[in-house]
Amino acid sequence: MLTLKNISKYYQVGGSKNFVLNNIDLDVEEGEFVSIMGPSGSGKSTLLNIIGMLDQPSEGYHYFMGEGVHLLKEKQRTALYKQYIGFVFQAYHLIDELTVYENIETPLIYQNIKGGERKALVADILDRFNIVGKKDLFPSQLSGGQQQLVGIARALISKPRLILADEPTGNLNSKQGEEIMELFRKLNQEDNVTIIQVTHNEKNAEYGSRIINLLDGKIESIKNI
Amino acid sequence: MFKNYIKTAWRNLLKGKVFNGLNILGLAVAIASSALLLLTVHFQFSYDKFHKNIDNIYQLYFSTNREGVVEKTGSMPVPVTPAIKAEYPEIKNISRLEGGVTTVAYGDKELEESINFVDQDFFKIFTIPVAAGSKTPLVSQNELVITKYVAKALFNNADPVGKMVRMKFGEGYKSFIVSSVIEDFPENSSINADGFIRFENTPGYQQNLKVWDNRNHSVFLSLTDNADPAVFESKLGKFVKAHFKEDLNNLKRDGAKPVANGDLMSLNLASFKDNHFNTEVGGVEGYAVNKTSIIGLLVIAIFILIIACINFINLAVARSFTRAREVGVRKTLGAGKWDLLSQFWTETIMVCLIALAIGIALASVILPYFNANFKSTIKLGMLFHPAQLLTLIGLFLLITVIAGFYPALLMMRYKTVQVLKGSVSTAKPGKVRNILLVVQFSIATLLTICTLITRQQINYVRNKPLGFNKSEVLSIPIDHGLNGAQALQLFRNQVAGEKQIVGVTGAYRNLGLGNDGSTFTSITGFNYKGHEIRSHIYSVSYDYLKTLDIKLLDGREFSKDFASDSNAVLVNQKMASLLQVNKPVGTMVPYDDKHPKKVIGVFADYNFRSLHDKIEPLTLVMDKEFPINYVFVRVRPNSLSASYDFIKEKWHQTFPNADFNASWLEQNTEKQYRNEQRLANIFNSASIIAIFISCIGLLAMSVMVILQRTKEIGIRKVLGASVSRIVLLVSSEFITLVIVAAIIAMPIAWWLMDQWLQNFAYRVSIQWWVFALATLLAVIIAALTISVQAIRAAIANPVKSIKSE
Ligand SMILES: Nc1ncnc2c1ncn2[C@@H]1O[C@H](COP(=O)(O)OP(=O)(O)O)[C@@H](O)[C@H]1O
Ligand SMILES: [Mg+2]
Repeated sequence: MLTLKNISKYYQVGGSKNFVLNNIDLDVEEGEFVSIMGPSGSGKSTLLNIIGMLDQPSEGYHYFMGEGVHLLKEKQRTALYKQYIGFVFQAYHLIDELTVYENIETPLIYQNIKGGERKALVADILDRFNIVGKKDLFPSQLSGGQQQLVGIARALISKPRLILADEPTGNLNSKQGEEIMELFRKLNQEDNVTIIQVTHNEKNAEYGSRIINLLDGKIESIKNI
Repeated sequence: MFKNYIKTAWRNLLKGKVFNGLNILGLAVAIASSALLLLTVHFQFSYDKFHKNIDNIYQLYFSTNREGVVEKTGSMPVPVTPAIKAEYPEIKNISRLEGGVTTVAYGDKELEESINFVDQDFFKIFTIPVAAGSKTPLVSQNELVITKYVAKALFNNADPVGKMVRMKFGEGYKSFIVSSVIEDFPENSSINADGFIRFENTPGYQQNLKVWDNRNHSVFLSLTDNADPAVFESKLGKFVKAHFKEDLNNLKRDGAKPVANGDLMSLNLASFKDNHFNTEVGGVEGYAVNKTSIIGLLVIAIFILIIACINFINLAVARSFTRAREVGVRKTLGAGKWDLLSQFWTETIMVCLIALAIGIALASVILPYFNANFKSTIKLGMLFHPAQLLTLIGLFLLITVIAGFYPALLMMRYKTVQVLKGSVSTAKPGKVRNILLVVQFSIATLLTICTLITRQQINYVRNKPLGFNKSEVLSIPIDHGLNGAQALQLFRNQVAGEKQIVGVTGAYRNLGLGNDGSTFTSITGFNYKGHEIRSHIYSVSYDYLKTLDIKLLDGREFSKDFASDSNAVLVNQKMASLLQVNKPVGTMVPYDDKHPKKVIGVFADYNFRSLHDKIEPLTLVMDKEFPINYVFVRVRPNSLSASYDFIKEKWHQTFPNADFNASWLEQNTEKQYRNEQRLANIFNSASIIAIFISCIGLLAMSVMVILQRTKEIGIRKVLGASVSRIVLLVSSEFITLVIVAAIIAMPIAWWLMDQWLQNFAYRVSIQWWVFALATLLAVIIAALTISVQAIRAAIANPVKSIKSE
């Protein structure tokens, strides 16, 4: 599904380059569930953002669904991203001014999907996540676990093939975290959605089929489960 | 998609209630004031444009130059029109126009109406739609044309056409038949009357038919299709030479300078499309206004809009920091550039629409006061004419684009990743914001300085001693029907011996601008000891100096006891010094070659003209050549209004049929500065509005900045910073900007005001403290605005604010 070759990311500090990612090679197949681990500051988020095209590498080659992302224009990247990728954040990043329903609906609006169809899709996912009763509440009226649930629902609404999750359980207690992980597993196994998550939690990491350990911007080890 | 935008926009509006409220308030005030100003400007420029032939309508006027300034007057003698029409085939239509007020009677109804005397061509030159009756009115001399309004007043709902009415002329009545009813004149018409009759009906028409030196009406004409107005105008020199020999001689006597081609007097064409702005030609129809001051209004309207836009942009930018995360999230959800731009544009449009609605409501509330204060007659309905509406919509969209897109673009420049990490430095002030704030406060300070200086100058000219008594002297214009010298004598006898009257005299010219609105000037030039002396000259009656309280320095003034005084002169100090003798009294001065005149007195210089001009050499004579046009009465200082009533009564007793148009000299001199007064009022209001809107912006900005720095302020407090230190910390940045703005405004204001003050020979010097005061004012107002918020933040419980992150 995606291939990274010799990907590096550095910031110019004074005269020298400060590498955040150093010569990363990585292949992810469709249907995989990858967990990325590593100490704070090791470059996990940066790696995830590059995969999700929110950030650009300083050097290297990036292929996604057979296209050379490093060759694409901003607009084409947005189109590719819109079609295939959904993001889940540690801080949920729901839009405060929109209700649960509207938050979930927003990606569909940006994909120019008709009102009727949008309604059906949102109703469907609300049902699946068991949050129909919460649809008219605003994010501030929800608990952290519920917010993350909405965040995941929003990421899934446009039926992405790849979900990128940056510490999705970081702000949740362990019970809430487990529920989210179960959800990911189900998505991965039943819907064949590819998942790449960053986590600090060993137990959560083991939901994945492969664990990648980062250290100082380099892949230190890869463990298949 | 649109619904979603509006929903978010609305919720965002509600969320930042105070902030958005301020923003909307500022914008609404700007919209209200600039709408009124722009309407005024538009209205002024729309004058007379409804005449279909507007480009081919001209008014005749004479140009002369007696005292270094070309004087233009549209007043024409009766025979000009038939003569010029006969001599120049280029003229297609020509009509005289004289105004008058007459009693119109029908049945037992008697109404005072303004009836204009015109020729038949009048209705061909001007576009005056006929509502009923003959389309080609005034074929015969007893036809009357009236407006719909008058028709209703006279005949109620009956058909007016063909009705016979009586009109009062002098002692008796004449009968007229209503031949046509015309539409009422629109507000923006210079020509305005209740009715029209043929010019031949003017009182004294027959006697005036051959009189070339009695000017009493205006003449309008249009040219044939292939005639060139410039060429036609150049041919008129011949006409002047042929018909105005006497005027040319008098001009020569008065030492006039040539106006064109070496001629002392020329006949010219004034284009009627500029009629409303024609302040140069005396006697144009309607009330001419100064174009520069109208353009000034336009500039001020634009200034106010700029200030409001700047507010809007700055506030939007300030807010965009708090919304950066939303933008980032929307981007991760697949929003493209245009999606985001149109979202923010929608929000801007909504805010602007609300502001527009409030602004227009506000404008309708202010409108009556505005019209009263600025002598305007605009209506809000004028906003909804197609042309204005289009301009309005265009302007509206432009503002929303500028104010909506810029902050949106700014937000989209943030790196999504950083925004989501929350690491965009939100306290960064931004160069653009600072520049905009500086522009805003520069304009506000500029207007403040202008207000201060115009006020200073107006106070100065009001209070400057003029060298004569202006508070106790009443000036009465003598009706044109009366012989001035006789009238003065009659009135003198009438009030002789009355206790409250100190003195009565008369003169050729008024002091200041009287209720008759006329000014007279005459200059004489002659050779004296080998050089040319030019002196203002006018005739007075005896007791002139005494009545007006003008200081006599040497000799005596005119007296009825000396018959020879008709050959004597009084001179002012300026004139006396030109005579180059030790004792001017007794000197013979060759004012004209044959009869030198003897100086019998020297008086102190007084400002016989407005303070726009320096005091020049002045000679007073008691010469029959100059008529007496004004009576001056000085009364005792107590109970002025009682004296006024007393004099009025006496005047009416003496002249039962004449008007009493008297005014105190103080009123006359103030009237000379009414343009300046109006300008000062405009500056005043504009600066208040500008400062108000700027401060709203500043207030909202400080709310924002303090919000962003709440945590920092909390930490500083925990570390021991005092409230005043924190207030200073927050305010100093803004105050610095306000001071920078003031410094930028200073040279511009100085230049502008220096330019304006050049109009006055007597003027205040621009003082540094005015600039200091304006700056101080701006700083104090700004500081007050900011510190309200700063103090609140500073005294807030620090623990709470630190925790809130
Ligand atoms: N704009 C930047 N300039 C310089 N260094 C940065 C910038 N953004 C991130 N970094 C550095 O990149 C490193 C990796 O960050 P990140 O990918 O967020 O790590 P992780 O998610 O593994 O904690 C950190 O050491 C951080 O200091
Ligand atoms: Mg991270």
